[in-house]
Amino acid sequence: MIPLKHLSSHQPHSSPSLSWNGRYLAVIIQRGGKRMAVITDRLSGQIHPLSLPGNKYPIRISLSPDARQLAMELTGKGTSRIELFNLQTIIEPDEPIGIRGSTSLNQSQ
Amino acid sequence: MIYLSLALTLLLTLSSCTNASMQPLPEINNTILKSSTNNREPSLGIKWLASLALYNGKERIELTNLLSRTRVPLPGLNSQDSQPISVSLSADGQRLALIRQRGNRTELLLYRRNFGTLQLLEINPAGIPKKVSIDATGKLLAVQVSRDGYWEVDLLRLPN
Repeated sequence: MIPLKHLSSHQPHSSPSLSWNGRYLAVIIQRGGKRMAVITDRLSGQIHPLSLPGNKYPIRISLSPDARQLAMELTGKGTSRIELFNLQTIIEPDEPIGIRGSTSLNQSQ
Repeated sequence: MIYLSLALTLLLTLSSCTNASMQPLPEINNTILKSSTNNREPSLGIKWLASLALYNGKERIELTNLLSRTRVPLPGLNSQDSQPISVSLSADGQRLALIRQRGNRTELLLYRRNFGTLQLLEINPAGIPKKVSIDATGKLLAVQVSRDGYWEVDLLRLPN
């Protein structure tokens, strides 16, 4: 088991989603009484909180395998809806092994 | 000295956390995804999105081509006598793993788009599946299963 040290104080966690090589983990956490989505970069140790407009909060998220896009199931005003977001301004892609730009992680990371 | 160490600790904590600004994709969000209500359970591939969408009081599995921004037909997948619970998509959009309720049975299935076939997958030892996740290659499944009052996760290797 690989502990997620940076997220341990923001439980409960839900809806985990990994990129191709496991470099990025998108997950919903609890922060200050609010549910919010974050992406952790297991290579650099950085956490990217993903702020949402309006009174919406995330129910479920899905990271594309190359980490270029994120789909979020959002709820607000009694309905749920899926919205897509471009992540390329935040993180670099995680390409499959064998493709230029792919990431190699140690098991301990 | 104490203030200095506190400031350093704060600086180190903040430096591991960047405030990110995602860019919404309005051309997709305002067209194809807005046309169905109560869309949930997203699963992203490369250029593909699978989800559950409510139509006329009944949920069905939908697949969207994010490049052409069109819905893709899934012949033989959605049926009147079943209710989808969970769906997950391989990176190339060719394989969909799903859980559905049919009568009093909860079934785990694999849908292959290139053949249009739906294959029932056996859960052994028996259990009730709740959530499924297929890996990007479409060859490995993680399934959350209720078994004898406990939640367990099974890994299933799929044939080619």
